[in-house]
Amino acid sequence: MAIESLTVEAAQALASGYTAIGAGLAVGLTGIGTGLGEMSIGAAAVGATAEDRGMFGLALVFTVLPETIVIFGLVVALLLLFV
Amino acid sequence: MFQPRPMTHLLIAASKAQMASVVTELYRHQIFHITDFVDQGKEGYEGVKIGVPQEHAGDLSNDLLKIRSLESVFQTNPSTQSNVQMRPAETIRAAIDSELPKIDEEVSSLTVKRSNAETRIRECQQRINELKPFALVPLELDLYRGYGNLTVYAGYIEHDIEISFPHEKHYQAGKDGNFIVVFVESKNSAEVEKNLADAGFQTVTLPGESGTVQAAVDKYTVEKNEATKVYEDCNVKIVELKAKYADLLAACDEVLSCDVERAEAPLRFATTDEAFVIDGWIPADEVEKVVAALNQATGERVYVVVDSSEVEDTAIPVEYNNPSYAKPAELFMDLYSRPKYKELDPTIILAIMFPLLFGFIVGDLGYGLLYLLLALVLRKTLLKMGEMGVKAFFVIIGAAISTSIFGLLYSEFFGVSLPWHSIIFSRHLPIGAGMEHAMPQVIELLIISIMLGVIYISVGRFFGMINHYRMDHPGSHRTKAILSQFGWNLILWGILVLVLSVVDLNEYCQFPFALPTFVGIPTIAGIIGAVMIIVGCVFVAIENPLDLMELPTNTLSHMLSFCRLAAVGLSSVAIAMVVNFLAFDLFITPAMINLDVVGVLLIIVGVIILILGHALNVALGILGGAIHPIRLHYVEFFTKFYQGGGIIYKPFGLKRKFSEE
Repeated sequence: MAIESLTVEAAQALASGYTAIGAGLAVGLTGIGTGLGEMSIGAAAVGATAEDRGMFGLALVFTVLPETIVIFGLVVALLLLFV
Repeated sequence: MFQPRPMTHLLIAASKAQMASVVTELYRHQIFHITDFVDQGKEGYEGVKIGVPQEHAGDLSNDLLKIRSLESVFQTNPSTQSNVQMRPAETIRAAIDSELPKIDEEVSSLTVKRSNAETRIRECQQRINELKPFALVPLELDLYRGYGNLTVYAGYIEHDIEISFPHEKHYQAGKDGNFIVVFVESKNSAEVEKNLADAGFQTVTLPGESGTVQAAVDKYTVEKNEATKVYEDCNVKIVELKAKYADLLAACDEVLSCDVERAEAPLRFATTDEAFVIDGWIPADEVEKVVAALNQATGERVYVVVDSSEVEDTAIPVEYNNPSYAKPAELFMDLYSRPKYKELDPTIILAIMFPLLFGFIVGDLGYGLLYLLLALVLRKTLLKMGEMGVKAFFVIIGAAISTSIFGLLYSEFFGVSLPWHSIIFSRHLPIGAGMEHAMPQVIELLIISIMLGVIYISVGRFFGMINHYRMDHPGSHRTKAILSQFGWNLILWGILVLVLSVVDLNEYCQFPFALPTFVGIPTIAGIIGAVMIIVGCVFVAIENPLDLMELPTNTLSHMLSFCRLAAVGLSSVAIAMVVNFLAFDLFITPAMINLDVVGVLLIIVGVIILILGHALNVALGILGGAIHPIRLHYVEFFTKFYQGGGIIYKPFGLKRKFSEE
């Protein structure tokens, strides 16, 4: 289908479809990134907590540090969808 | 507020004859933090040694050990016992002398009897288990032994085997394995053994009993039942003794712990042959009271010096000095690190902001009320856990109330709109029936979050300047450190001025007030912003040029990190609304129209989705709502000014629950 033959509605539908895919990719890919980051931190944090239960609080905070990445993804997705 | 409790350094010296009364007096007041004396052999300290415990310390420790072992038999723990009336310590001490040996004997004879019974039960059970396979072989137990030239094999085997010598064989296939008994002449035993081994034979011990297998099993069963009865009797008696003595033991434990701690206190003092010195800290407002009490207790035969010389602030114990409403937040501070003595103590900021941020993120009346309910359900457990539990309880209560209030403001109840429009910002998403035209105020929420971030980072830098001023030694290094902190703030605000000179945020969002904008004067604002950034960079570079590498993370990334407040909140709303959509729009509402058997099933599925979904969101809300604000404080705020690492103030003495002197 050539681009010239698109109606305005079809173009809008296409645009909103691409937006939704973009939002999905933003959250999904950053989620994978966060997961990879948290993987090794989480393992170390569990080890530290097993050694000393007092470490639990700090370990938990360390574990959620990479969550920033997925939150930026979430922000981008929200901006794509609702702004 | 912002400052720990002021402390005074005290040195208490007296002759050894006064030691007991000084220790007792300090112990009674429970406010003196002892700095342990470390014998480093320094010049000027010749002849000064660590003290030795009082003579009776060993006996006291032995008694305490006995009590602890009794407590472990009774499975009681004094720290979780409550509602016990206070008893005078003297009567408890008398009871330790008169009753403790009696109780100990009574309990230990019971435990010996119980453990014998336990061993017997285990032995009988083992014999029964071992005899079980022989029950399937039609032979009496005497027939398995006592032969001159016959060898007997009994055990489990993978499959039946053929034996080419004269023999008697009993094979029984079974679920737990195939059991085989073989009698052969001893001269053929080597061959037979090989045959058996090839079939995976595993031998079992031949029984030593006589008569039929059933008779032997019955005998052991009777014995086992008798032993079980003895075991249970012992347990009942121990429970009776526990009910009788638990309170007394808790009190004895407390009195002895106090006595042991006092008797061993000299291990923390510096002593000479005739005298001793106690080094320690005491809250400044208590000095007079304690000095007077010491003088009275020793008949003025004690010498107390207030040492006002400069001391490293890592050596001064730190006790929080917060108003009562800020106490619960001390939990988060101790999770990170206790502030140093001269450092600003940010507890109060956490105390105010944590519930607010939690509410800002979760913000749902339904969830808020659920958290409140959760706190009330956990109340007993938490309050039993001591000071920490009490703090945790109030943290949850604060967060729950704030969540409810924000829920009212956002107009949210389990993701459903309340009968009014949202009062501050709308977070309703276009999910589900009737919500097609909902438009969440994402930009407004993000801007508020980032504004909060800018304030946090600026305040953090400002605190950093104060901390450097108070904690560093005067000199050019201190000036540079303060300038560097100021420089970071200039960079941050310079970037903001630059952004606001090209973008008018008012075009993108609607606040009840106009946001500042410099688009009318782009050149002037641009120049001012650029100058601020350059001057800021220069200030930072004066202290350490390499610090400029942190420019992207320290300003932009930390500022944008506060976006999580809006984003996590919106994701929590989204989950709630999706759960409602799944449960109501897909299952419950269509089923209600035409109610039949399938309809009822659909409604049940819908209700299950509703409950599980919201339970998940409540749990995620606790994680997201609590961890993200804490992380913002720890990572984005504290890194600007806070080091921590102060010594925790531990006054000499024990809080008594069961006894009084």
